[in-house]
Amino acid sequence: MPEYTDIELVELFRDVSKTHYAFNLLVRKYQEKIYYFVRRMVIDHDDADDVVQNVFIKVWNNLGSFREDSKLFTWLYRIAVNESLSFLKSKQLRSYLSLSSPEAQMVKSLHDDNYFDGTEIQRRLSEAIIKLPKKQQLVFNMRYYDDLSYDEMSEILGTSVGALKASYHFAVKKIEEFVTSN
Amino acid sequence: MKLKHNITNDNEQLPEVLQELRKEADGFRVPDGYFDSLSPRIVDGIKRQEHGSFSHVLVSSFRRPRVWAPVMATLLVAVLLIFVVPSKKASTLPATDEWTELNMAFDPSYAEEAFLAEGHTIDKELESKDINYAEPVSLSGQNGPTAEEIAKYLKEHEYDAILLNDY
Repeated sequence: MPEYTDIELVELFRDVSKTHYAFNLLVRKYQEKIYYFVRRMVIDHDDADDVVQNVFIKVWNNLGSFREDSKLFTWLYRIAVNESLSFLKSKQLRSYLSLSSPEAQMVKSLHDDNYFDGTEIQRRLSEAIIKLPKKQQLVFNMRYYDDLSYDEMSEILGTSVGALKASYHFAVKKIEEFVTSN
Repeated sequence: MKLKHNITNDNEQLPEVLQELRKEADGFRVPDGYFDSLSPRIVDGIKRQEHGSFSHVLVSSFRRPRVWAPVMATLLVAVLLIFVVPSKKASTLPATDEWTELNMAFDPSYAEEAFLAEGHTIDKELESKDINYAEPVSLSGQNGPTAEEIAKYLKEHEYDAILLNDY
């Protein structure tokens, strides 16, 4: 498969005769990164699949008007963040009808998930991340797993670099405490 | 500040357990062939969205509280206006409208009702006028039927002779 830069992909997408081809290339280029980012937020594979599809459908609907004042990947990431948070919010609203909290349901999902084969300590790490506030989860996952710079995270989340560093620092402390104490 | 120093250097000072875990996969995996099939499924989703775009937008937009709440409020006000606010009382005057005229063709008693209603109307008109008793007074007003016309009508419709005798 040919490799195109993000700018080339956007230009290709805007060519009416090549829109589908460009979109297919874009999906294949970023699907794994977006999927695993979403998966770490929502835990369940089927939920992640739904969210990822919604992300790329939104990309399809809006890429034509992408202003290129930010990097394409940053823009994609921002859509993934918004879709993940929307999903988790709707899950939280539905959880008012059940006896357990959304976090407890996600921890249970982690234990029951056929598509999680990590070690016990990896499971505890994922549990610790689930228990973080949503913003800290995002910051921790982006920094720890995706190795994004604070500037990139600042652009995605609209938060200052200082606040992001503080958020990451506290997330690390909480996770370390949880993982080592349990 | 010590805290600021710690935050700045966090990247180099991850706890050992997290440093070790970072080198490994996180344990999440996908079904076989998942990523190969993802793009076609996304395209299917886009086609479904485009084909059902109006209904999808309508349904999904109606789910938002800021759409259904005003709609519900409007419906509630409409229901209240229709059923709760008392309607204007019907007139106590006998009907002399088109419906009554139609019924007269089937039921002679309606003729009497119409006659009484006309008389009532005549009385009201007389009350509101400054009558010059030197002039003859019209029993039915300027636009109403004359006595001859009433008698002719009753005769044509074969009504009670007693009524006819009044003319």
